[in-house]
Amino acid sequence: MNEAAAAGFPAGRAGSSARSRPGRLSRSARGALAVVAFLWVVAAVSPLFSARAAEIRLNDRLLAPSRAHPFGTDDLGRDLLARVIAATPISLAIGTTAAAVSVLIGFSVGATAGWFGGMVDLVLSRLVEVVLCFPVLFLLLALAAFLPPSPLTVIFAIGLTTWPGDARFARAEILKTRDLDYTRAARSAGASTPRILVRHLLPVAAPPLLVSAAFGVGWAILAEAALSFLGVGLPPPMASWGGILAVAPAYIEDAWWIALFPGLALFATVSAYNLLAAGLREATTEKSVNR
Amino acid sequence: MTRYIARRLAFAVPTLAGIVVLVFALLHLAPGSPVSALGEGSGRRVSQQAAHEMQRLYGLDRPLPERFARWISRVARLDFGESFVDHRPVLARIGEALPYTLVLNGLALLLTLAIAVPLGVAAGGRPEGSLDRASSAILFALYSLPAFWAALLLQTLFSVKLRWLPLYGVASDLPEGGAAGFLDRASHLVLPVLCLTYGSLAFFARLIRSSVAETRNADYVLAARARGLSRRQALWKHAFRNALIPLVTLLGLVLPGLLSGSVIIERIFAWPGLGRLYFDSILSRDYPVILALSLLGAVSTLVLTLVADIASAVADPRVRDGSIS
Amino acid sequence: MANPRKGVLLASIAASLAAGIFLSSGCRDKPDRAPSASTRSATPRPAAVAAPLGFLDESGLAPAGEGGTLRRRLSGDPATLNAVMQSGLPEQEVLQYVSRNLLDLDSQMKVVPGLARFTVSPDGRTFLFTLRDDAVWEDGTPVRAADAVFTIRSIVDPKIPSPVFRSVFDGLLSVYATGEKTFTVRFRETYAYRSMSFVLPLLPERRFAKKHFLSAPDNRAPFSNGPYRFVSWKPQQEIVLERNPRAWGERGHFDRIVFRILPEDSVAYRSLLAGNLEETRLDSTGKGRAAQDPEFAACCRLVEYFDLGWNYIALNNRSPLFADARVRRALTMLLDRAAIVRNLFQGSARILSGPWAPDSAVYDATVSPLRFDPAGAASLLDAAGWRDSNGNGVRDRGGREFAFDLLVSTGTTAGRQIDETFAAELARAGIRATIRPVEWAAFSERVDAGDFEAASLAWSASDPNPDPYPFWHSSQWPPHGLNSEFYKNADADRLMEEARAEQDESRRTAIYHRLHRIFRDDAPVIFVATSSQKFGFSRRVRGLVTSPLGMFGIWPGPLGWWPAGEEGGPAARPPSSPSPVLR
Repeated sequence: MNEAAAAGFPAGRAGSSARSRPGRLSRSARGALAVVAFLWVVAAVSPLFSARAAEIRLNDRLLAPSRAHPFGTDDLGRDLLARVIAATPISLAIGTTAAAVSVLIGFSVGATAGWFGGMVDLVLSRLVEVVLCFPVLFLLLALAAFLPPSPLTVIFAIGLTTWPGDARFARAEILKTRDLDYTRAARSAGASTPRILVRHLLPVAAPPLLVSAAFGVGWAILAEAALSFLGVGLPPPMASWGGILAVAPAYIEDAWWIALFPGLALFATVSAYNLLAAGLREATTEKSVNR
Repeated sequence: MTRYIARRLAFAVPTLAGIVVLVFALLHLAPGSPVSALGEGSGRRVSQQAAHEMQRLYGLDRPLPERFARWISRVARLDFGESFVDHRPVLARIGEALPYTLVLNGLALLLTLAIAVPLGVAAGGRPEGSLDRASSAILFALYSLPAFWAALLLQTLFSVKLRWLPLYGVASDLPEGGAAGFLDRASHLVLPVLCLTYGSLAFFARLIRSSVAETRNADYVLAARARGLSRRQALWKHAFRNALIPLVTLLGLVLPGLLSGSVIIERIFAWPGLGRLYFDSILSRDYPVILALSLLGAVSTLVLTLVADIASAVADPRVRDGSIS
Repeated sequence: MANPRKGVLLASIAASLAAGIFLSSGCRDKPDRAPSASTRSATPRPAAVAAPLGFLDESGLAPAGEGGTLRRRLSGDPATLNAVMQSGLPEQEVLQYVSRNLLDLDSQMKVVPGLARFTVSPDGRTFLFTLRDDAVWEDGTPVRAADAVFTIRSIVDPKIPSPVFRSVFDGLLSVYATGEKTFTVRFRETYAYRSMSFVLPLLPERRFAKKHFLSAPDNRAPFSNGPYRFVSWKPQQEIVLERNPRAWGERGHFDRIVFRILPEDSVAYRSLLAGNLEETRLDSTGKGRAAQDPEFAACCRLVEYFDLGWNYIALNNRSPLFADARVRRALTMLLDRAAIVRNLFQGSARILSGPWAPDSAVYDATVSPLRFDPAGAASLLDAAGWRDSNGNGVRDRGGREFAFDLLVSTGTTAGRQIDETFAAELARAGIRATIRPVEWAAFSERVDAGDFEAASLAWSASDPNPDPYPFWHSSQWPPHGLNSEFYKNADADRLMEEARAEQDESRRTAIYHRLHRIFRDDAPVIFVATSSQKFGFSRRVRGLVTSPLGMFGIWPGPLGWWPAGEEGGPAARPPSSPSPVLR
């Protein structure tokens, strides 16, 4: 976990390209969308490769890339290409779900704090601070020790540590909009709080939350890889990119391919999600400016 | 200002309390104990009776609230106790690891700023210029690059294939004095510093760029140019100054992380800093060390965020000018 | 019981134990310890043991060099240099140079006198020790009985953590000095392997007087009574020792010993090649690399031997899955140990049939391991009622599927590789094993509590004590003892009790051989393999001796090493007989 990355996504409004038209994704973001779509297709067909990915052939340990094994083989003679493909749905699913969990918790806490203000805000803000200042790795290790290693544990662990960013963000959004005219109007018309939150405030907060979620996916995929790399992520033989990478240091002088290929997949996926997120942000900010 | 600081400090108390209680509870409820952590690698098994005796020795047979009360009352006197691993004062162990982390992270931060500031100002000075577009693409790629993978690749290339740089460690096993020793130590720093730098580079450069880009056409910048300053001078003297505020805030967010050290990077490069001490202490269930490091981490986060907030308030020309007039 | 004629009071236990070693393995050519012998060469093991590696003994060569510095590698910073509180290998490797043990184990796994000689009472419960007259601390004051009494009392003091020695003094009744140089230790009951408890370094009592034991300055700077004395310790960097001018008895051949703390194997390997280090441990990958590295061949040699450690997969015998011995046997037959030895260990490992390494005095080489036989395993499982009744690919019985968690400690590469291979083979046989990596602290807590279904473990032994009682007797089920698998077999229980009290070595060995067969057929755990220990040694160091106890923890061990001088120098001499491990 690069601690700096935990702070969120690159600060500053992303490339305010004058060329991109409002409401439409930039060319790079459309490219990223295509990559993401491709990854999900790979994920969909990955079951075809799962048998090959699990096949241990001790005679074929640590083979360099060849025609038979385009990505080479790992320390148990499994085909690395098949393993990287088989890992795709796992990494994507964990990344997406963990980001969703994070946004969900973050939005609920942040919106509640922002809407009610006062004591509620004070207490919830302290909670956010506690989690922000909490040693993330320690929490992850403690959770991993408590719960059996499984995709759910990893999702839970990542979601539980990343939500404060979303919460701060949602709180600020709500604070901005709650005193706007139409919110007051809705309130004076007798609308209930949840109704106002969902009907009036959610639509305003949704686009930035979507952006945040897209960045969150990239971050969560990275976090899962880092956890598996440290040995507290998914249990073997379940392949995840970080899990495959975890054995790479032991063979760094003998089998560079174990380090290279799963990492490439990881890098491509994270880049695609981040680019997509940046594109989304661009498109939605333009939109809100136009309105 | 004083009232603001006092208010912020008052808020920090419940936050700290929350963190301390949580860490303490998680630590003692988590499976494993300092006794069960013994013997990794050696395969020795401690007899059950000996294990019970050691649990008692470390006070682990006492109820949780009692242990907490004991620990917190010692901490209040700034006594963090002794490590369960080598029975030395916790602060001595932290003091041993701290310089390593400071050197590594300090260099990384300096390098980050040395690249990010000129790059950000130059790119922000001409948004959509070729430099801006190229740098933004590269920074974006770097941002998405997992640090531990980058570390592995750099090690493969520079240490295994080319043999230019050491694979890991602090120094070769024969620490020399003089220039040779210095070069040797420096060569061990190259890869970990690179890995720590490139990630935060994107944050800093983008932040400065957007801030400079925003203000480069602001009245006071244009006025400065009208007074005869070159474009470059105007950017650095005025537009960049404006970027200092968010920069200081970001530093406040990043510094605590630098202090606590990067667990993964220190692990991959076998760097005996705080991150590694923390990780090792968790594995060996060295409760006093874990608690002290968690507490220090939380305090430094709170304090530095506060300092950054105050600094940005001071750096803000509106605030500053207001206080002058 | 004692043999006073030679002036060496050796307990009958120790002597007969040593005899047992030669009976069972028959490979060590010296029936007695003979420090003056000028030639001792390695003899090949009999075919039954089928060892690919030889036994290295250069102790017979006359030391051709003196002086200089020996630079050794430590894989981690010692936690302490207090002999009583030591908990790991690094501590022991350093302390061996500065603290003599009361008794020592030699390369033949015999107990020999160290700081002291001893006699044992006829009932085997009282030990009378006499310290050597010439034994002194580094300031010239004599090593006294009070020091030994203080050391042993510290070990059993509940306020002092002593993870290594506490267990071996569990039955201590009393310890007291009977004179300046004599003391008596009494135990509650007879125990065949008691003398091994006294392979024990001493602390100087007066230097701990009026000091807090846990934080005494001596814990970081030990006071010497051995051939070397402590000079300095830079944490995470190095520990330096030099010759002790007041040393008595045997002396080392180097002037200085420097321990470099190098946690990473490949850093240590590079240092070895660069000539900055004289020895380092190698893993299987490192050995393969060294074997093909001309740089390595030019400066160094590979030393490889088997010790008493072994790998196994523990099965919870109380679990409904593994209560039936047929099922446990079937699981053993599903693990392709030959392929694991061939591929994962690159041939340098041996398959086991019981709870001892083949080099243990009590291992019965005629007990052949169960064969890899998936078909045979399938019929055993069928017979035990585990059939795939619903056709989902997983065997079941009475509504319960044959699925279990296999715990493995994170950080053990070999363990994880064995487990993944095993799980894949089990899946083909209709058994679902889920591998659960757990970090060591939590792992060992669950294993010691017996809170697991299956777990991958490694056994290591620092002494030749083969007593299976603490680990396999049914009275030792958790939480009382370390029989974490909840193994129970009335016959085995009885044999273990008999062996423990049996003072005659050959009769005891016969009992263990019967037990060995029971263990093989009961398969309380899956006995996997013992893998070799591998080291790279600079050719500048000679006088190496390997033993099943390793090459470090024995007497004289590293203290018998000597510098061979520079390559081609007059000091360099070829070994008298080429050993198979010299490559």
